[in-house]
Amino acid sequence: MATKFPGVEDAHEILKKNKIVVAGVGETEQGKIPDKSSFHFLSQASKLAIEDAGIKKSDVDGLVTAFSLVEHTFMHCTTFADYFGMRPSFFSSVAVGGATAIWMVAEAAMAIATGQAEVVLCVRGDNTLSGISSSGMVALIREMCHAEFEYPYGLTTPGGYALAAQRYLHDFNATSEQLASVAVTMRKHAAMKENAMNKDPLTIDDVLNSRIIAEPLHKYDCSIISDGGAAFIITTEEKAQELGIKKPPAYLWGMGEGYSHQYLTSLEDLDQIYNAINHSGQKAFKTAGIGPKDVDLAFLYDCFTITVLLELEGLGLVPKGQAGAFALEGRMEIGKDLPVNTHGGLLSQAHLGGMHHVIEATLQLRGGAGERQVDDAEIALVHGNGGIVSAHSSIVLGNQPLS
Amino acid sequence: MAEEKTYNKPLPEIRPETKPYWDACKKHELLLPKSKETGDVFFYPRAISPGEDMSEDIEWVKASGKAKVWTFSIHHMGPSKAYKGEPPYVVALVETDEGVKMMTNIVECDPKDVEIGMEVEVVFDDVTEEVTLPKFRPVK
Repeated sequence: MATKFPGVEDAHEILKKNKIVVAGVGETEQGKIPDKSSFHFLSQASKLAIEDAGIKKSDVDGLVTAFSLVEHTFMHCTTFADYFGMRPSFFSSVAVGGATAIWMVAEAAMAIATGQAEVVLCVRGDNTLSGISSSGMVALIREMCHAEFEYPYGLTTPGGYALAAQRYLHDFNATSEQLASVAVTMRKHAAMKENAMNKDPLTIDDVLNSRIIAEPLHKYDCSIISDGGAAFIITTEEKAQELGIKKPPAYLWGMGEGYSHQYLTSLEDLDQIYNAINHSGQKAFKTAGIGPKDVDLAFLYDCFTITVLLELEGLGLVPKGQAGAFALEGRMEIGKDLPVNTHGGLLSQAHLGGMHHVIEATLQLRGGAGERQVDDAEIALVHGNGGIVSAHSSIVLGNQPLS
Repeated sequence: MAEEKTYNKPLPEIRPETKPYWDACKKHELLLPKSKETGDVFFYPRAISPGEDMSEDIEWVKASGKAKVWTFSIHHMGPSKAYKGEPPYVVALVETDEGVKMMTNIVECDPKDVEIGMEVEVVFDDVTEEVTLPKFRPVK
């Protein structure tokens, strides 16, 4: 694939000069929490991230939020700014589905590099599990498929991923056991994370014997739905030092997006998906001046088990058609070849898009992941996926400044 | 006359530019949009060609009605309450002879018999008085 990446050298220089960092992280309790609203979670998570960085609320001059599946608002970022009591000089709502959290980091970085803000709070929170109405859920499903040419056939969101999975299994002689093993690894990791929703041991048989949602995907091939909030603070190394932030920062080395389709009807073949994932990853890698082999640990959007296999291959972390075997052999576990989602991911920890993926990457690079700590964690890749493997975003984070 | 069962499943939200498609479906005819400028057939129907030409000069061509299953998923859970208690159904992405993909249901067969590459042909399901959905069945 002869994709050109204009500007990656310039982007490298900009990130090298600005030394953009994740300087604070915060996560509220995750799970079924019926007594808190969407904006309560957003506020709590923001407070925790500000406290983690050890700064004042008034030190924050930029705000990036996402959207809510429960509280509908046209101007999400400013609605939250009002609720939380801040008057940021830069504000933006990012809404690219599951690609959002990762792109919030990029949005903040671009704002900082162009002088819009110095300290940007990125926050997402929602009472998705307790607060969403059945009509809200239907609206969400409809968003994922074409209201006119797909939805009347009863296509669901898991069903969309199942369509990709079925084709993947067919093309590469992959198996349901291989898909299931992704969920098993995530569960093992979640068991080591205090703030995780599903920690009970899970076996491949448990996954295969769980209810079929949309063949070939079972209940445990699908991510969980949870309530909660999560936030992180993006600033520069210089500003972090000026503010006296003590926690070791995670440095932003590169970022990129890749787009395939919004509706599966517009999909030519699986390569179209791989190319989008690859574009996202390659842009981030090339900006960082590294390749997939340099990655010590990866945080991959795991809305469904199939998503992880497509991402591993599209990002060039595992050769095409081999991610199933890679997963089944347990090579994504902590201590193995490439630890993936050491916090348990969307399949077991909590579902707040990729917010926890960014947070866990930061904790790992800080050396603060406790029992889950990966030895010599120096370079992490974080990848988000929105829609039905439609929209992709990647960032590379390092524990040292970009050189 | 037996009381007619109300159709509660989702219906397409028809837009001005897609009306010819749905009108043809009502007449049990499958039409595909084609850019007059490039001759490219595309799907789903839009007011403007998604190609480099950006042409608004769209004509409708009669499809052969033949397709192959590109991928499929037997859905055991539907997107709304209307599907509750219904048997599993096949959602499929088929590739038509004209080379475009369409989302559809594979009908008139046991879901277990559906496989990738299977040859299928269009059938028309008059789900309401106003709406006919093109679906596909295996070629016998």
